[in-house]
Parts: sequence; C-alpha cells; structure tokens
Amino acid sequence: MESLYVEKTKSTPEIQFDIRNNKLRIEGQSYPENAFKFYEPIFAWLDEHLQEFEREVVLEIYFYMPYINTSSSKCIMMLLEKLDNAYREGRKIAVRWYYDIENETALECAEEFKEDLTLPFESSPMREER
Amino acid sequence: MFELNLLDLQKVLQNYGVLINFSGRFTQEIIEELGDAVKKYLENEATSQNDTYNVFAVFIEQTQNIKNYNARKCGSLTGERISNSDIVAIGKSDIGYFVTSGNIVENKDIDLLMSKLDEISKLDKIGLKKLYKEQLKKDILPGSTSAGLGLIDMARRARRPLEYSMVRIDENVSFFTLKVYI
Repeated sequence: MESLYVEKTKSTPEIQFDIRNNKLRIEGQSYPENAFKFYEPIFAWLDEHLQEFEREVVLEIYFYMPYINTSSSKCIMMLLEKLDNAYREGRKIAVRWYYDIENETALECAEEFKEDLTLPFESSPMREER
Repeated sequence: MFELNLLDLQKVLQNYGVLINFSGRFTQEIIEELGDAVKKYLENEATSQNDTYNVFAVFIEQTQNIKNYNARKCGSLTGERISNSDIVAIGKSDIGYFVTSGNIVENKDIDLLMSKLDEISKLDKIGLKKLYKEQLKKDILPGSTSAGLGLIDMARRARRPLEYSMVRIDENVSFFTLKVYI
C-alpha cells in the first residue's frame, strides 16, 4: 500500500494520507474548477486502501478547510460517508475538524456534516501557534 | 460609435457602489485572482471575518455557476455569445455588501432555472437548510461538474431573498441577472 500526497494549490487543499502513522490529513481551501475530478483519485485511494489499515489502530482523519465551495462540499460528504461506512463495519476511525475561531461558517459546515454521521467527529478551534 | 469614456464608466460604477468588477469570459484563473482581490479588499475594510467569507463564497458560487454553464454550452450555436457575456460586480450599499452577476442563457433553459429560484425564494432559513441537505445527499450524475447546491448556498448566506431577473434579447437567448446581499 502506498501513501497518497497531493500538493496544495490556491484552490485545492494539500492531501496527505500517511499509511505509516495511520493519519489522513486534508488541509486548505477547496474550490477547484471541477471538484469531482479533483477528488476522484482520493475516493479511489480510499476504496482501495481503507481495508488495508490494521484493524486495531485508530485511523485519524484531520480536516482544516477554511473555505469549501458547494461542489467540494458534496465531495467531502461523499468522502465522510465512505469513512462512516467503514466505521459502521467495525473499523476504528476518528475525525477531527479544525476551524479558525472567527470563521463561524467553517464550524457550521462541520456541524452539518457531523449531523449525518455516526463516527466520532470532533470540531476544535485552531490554536494560534499551529 | 462613441469613444469609450472610462471616467464616465467609472463614475457610473461608483454611483452604484461597485468596488470590484469584471466583464469578459470567466476562467478559473480569473475567478481565483478576483476572489483574492475581493478578500484582500474586505480584510482592509475591517469587515467582520464572517462577512468576508460570505462575500467570497457567494462570489465563487456565482462565477463558477456561470463558468460551468459556459462549459456546457461550449460548441453549441450560441456558445461563443454566451461565454463572452459574463459579468460580475461586488459592491457596497446601505443594505450591506452585494455580489451580482449576469450572463446570457438560452431561452430553453429559462424555465428550469426560474423554477429552481422560485422554489428557493419561498423558503426560510430552516427550509433552505433542509433543501441543502437533501441535495447534498443526492447521487451525482457521472461527468457532472455541479452538485446543484450553489443557489441554495447563496440563499442561506444572503441577508435578504435572492434578487433575479431575465431580460429577453431575441428568440434564442435572454440575459440573466442575480443579486445577493450579504
């Protein structure tokens, strides 16, 4: 199994799916020209590799996305649904959503994702020093 | 043909409270650069961060909606005319900030767009959230570039109901305008 790395651009987030320490991280704004095309390889990676993580470890998923356009929101929802399905099948997964304290929209957006999921989902304000 | 008088044009824009505007074919690069300009401008104005985010978000949804429509019509008889008709303006009024945009649409697409907008404008914030979530969970058609969420999202961020109009140009096309107050 190979780790996944996608470099950040102005309109797409950095994506780091690190298989060695069981951490998946998505960080940055998301408003690409075609969100479905951008997220397609990420879905494919998850479909292929989600089952390969050791069952006993907790797979930690970090999000820090200050702005997400609507088509990217749809993709993030699809991604979270994939994770939620794996969680309901017994895999240990925890989601942590970071947001800037002044950015109410990002928190609301996280809370709305959370409403439809069963996996552990924690939203935390971003610390200054980070 | 009259000489283009930029000073007069600028006065007109200023009279309407326009801060930033662009007229011409939208590309992803132009959208990104203008989006940055909008954010920087609002940050310097000491606007609340939420207003800045909302103006930026509405700007992105409006311009990407138009760009997606251009892409769908690319290669059709009216394709060139449509993609050369894009215009967007961000401004400030007594009510608050506004983002307004316009483009040519084919007359055969008017009914669907208008029925969507009429449905959205009947809803309050709770109804809009419900509609947003329903749409968020719908399956996306393969090859689609749109999640069908943009107009609902704009209505949720708006300070007052969406304002929209359609002006007929000829038997094939009309000019559509959308205005959102933040």
